[in-house]
Amino acid sequence: METNQQRKALQDAMVFLGAIASGTEQAIGESANSISYLAGVNLGKKLSSGVPQTRDIQEALKATREVLEKNDYLWLFEPFKTHDQDSIVQENDDGTQVMLVFRDCMIRQSLFRFGHTQKGSLCNMMYGFFAGALQNIMGRESSLEIVHAGENACYKKLIVRREQ
Amino acid sequence: MPLEIDVHEQSCRGCELCIDICPTKVFELDSDKRLCVVKHAEDCIACLSCAYICPSNAITHTEYHAVKNFYRDAEFCQRMGKFL
Repeated sequence: METNQQRKALQDAMVFLGAIASGTEQAIGESANSISYLAGVNLGKKLSSGVPQTRDIQEALKATREVLEKNDYLWLFEPFKTHDQDSIVQENDDGTQVMLVFRDCMIRQSLFRFGHTQKGSLCNMMYGFFAGALQNIMGRESSLEIVHAGENACYKKLIVRREQ
Repeated sequence: MPLEIDVHEQSCRGCELCIDICPTKVFELDSDKRLCVVKHAEDCIACLSCAYICPSNAITHTEYHAVKNFYRDAEFCQRMGKFL
C-alpha cells in the first residue's frame, strides 16, 4: 500500500476507534471502561506470552516495553522518579510502586485528533494491557492509575500487588 | 541537554494554575513577588499542561521530547500497515 493510502487508512481507523469508544461510553457509561480494560488484559496476555518470567519489576517493565516495541505499538513509557524519591521502585502497603511517564501514545493522539476527552475507556485499555502483561511476566496482579493526563505526556502510578 | 522551563516574569500574573495542574510539583509561588517560579525543573515530565493552561502564555519549555503525530509520520504509517 502507498504511504499516502496507509496514512489515510490509519486516520480512518482512528476515526472508527474514537467513534466506537465515544459511542460505547455514551451508551453504557462507565461499564465501557471495564470492557476496554478486559480487551487490554487479553492483548497484554497474548502479546507477552513466551516472555521469560521475572520477579524484578524493573526487568518486567523492560520486557513489557520490548513487547510493545516489537509489535510496533506506539505506547512507549519510562519509569520516573522525582527529586524527593530515593529510588524508582517504592514499596508501600499496597505493593511495589513505580511511577511511569508515557510520552508517544497512539491513544492520546487519536483522542486529540478528533476532540475526545482523556482518561476514558481507551486509556483504560492501557491499564488492562499492563495488568495482563505483568500477570504473565511477574505472576502478580497490578493496577495502573492515571495520575495526570497531559497534552504531551501522561503520568501514571503502577502498583504491583503483593503475592497472596 | 536537559529540559528547561522558563516562566516569563512580566507575563506571569501569579494565578497559580500551573502550580495546581503540575503532577510533579515543579512550580511554587514566590509570595514576595506574587509570581509562580520554577522550583524543581528536574521533576518536569514535559506534559506541557502548565504551558497550555497558563492564561498569559508565560511558560515555555525547551529541549523536551515532543510527541509524534504518528498518523502523519510516513515511517510509522508504513509500520502500521499490518494493522490496516
